Amino acid sequence: MRKDSSRTKPGRRDFLKLASIGAVAAGVAGVAGRKAEAEPDAGAQRSGYRLTHHVKKVYELARF
Amino acid sequence: MESAVIEAECAIGSEERLRLLPYKLLARYLAAPPDRELLELTTRLEGDGTPFGRAVAELAAGASETTPAAAGDEYHALFIGLGRGELLPYASYYLTGFLQERPLADLRADLGRLGVARAEGCPEPEDHAAALCEVMAGLISGSFGDGRLSTQKRFFETHIATWMGRFFEDLEGARTARLYRRVGTVGRRFLEIEETAFAMVDGHEAAVSVDG
Repeated sequence: MRKDSSRTKPGRRDFLKLASIGAVAAGVAGVAGRKAEAEPDAGAQRSGYRLTHHVKKVYELARF
Repeated sequence: MESAVIEAECAIGSEERLRLLPYKLLARYLAAPPDRELLELTTRLEGDGTPFGRAVAELAAGASETTPAAAGDEYHALFIGLGRGELLPYASYYLTGFLQERPLADLRADLGRLGVARAEGCPEPEDHAAALCEVMAGLISGSFGDGRLSTQKRFFETHIATWMGRFFEDLEGARTARLYRRVGTVGRRFLEIEETAFAMVDGHEAAVSVDG
């Protein structure tokens, strides 16, 4: 198996920094704390996630 | 194998992780009309002078000028409508002109490999833009997938870059949209960033199928 097939070229991190993705982060910093781990039930790593689509419950979990 | 996962985890710098947020923001706006809390949250977003930053600032301004009821009407006209909404935010529709065609089948196969299953009793196809944004967020956070950037890149390039930019453009120009035009701009600008940034990842064909 290949060791690391997703090596990042050096520019990516700088590019992301400059692209101001943080604009979205800045405003939600206060609430982002609890959000970060609010991923839907990761329980069984590979199969635990349920894509509750559209207008459904999972979005309650996906709150910022 | 385990150490590879840990390595990948450590490699997730904050810039990488921050990408979760725009995906989640877009997913929430596309999955359901915004409630008061989401609108309130949106008004607090601050953008800078970059194209994406400006789009975010515009969305924040728009959110402060609307109400949950008005945004709900917009959402309904755009995505639900009488019979159907103004737009059909599905990959299959954008790629083939029909719902539930081959692109959906391909997506299902990939989701299966990534360990993502559809909730029971959920009639919506998985190729809805909101669902795809949510999958990206999950791939970034490591909720599923193998945590590799190349996996994200492959998913993005196969299932998102092929059509979602056009959908966001349509949203920007939608007759019944007001606040959602700004959601469209944020989406389009964000996808541009993602596209450029993924070009800086050596992905090749690796990833998803490596471990079968």
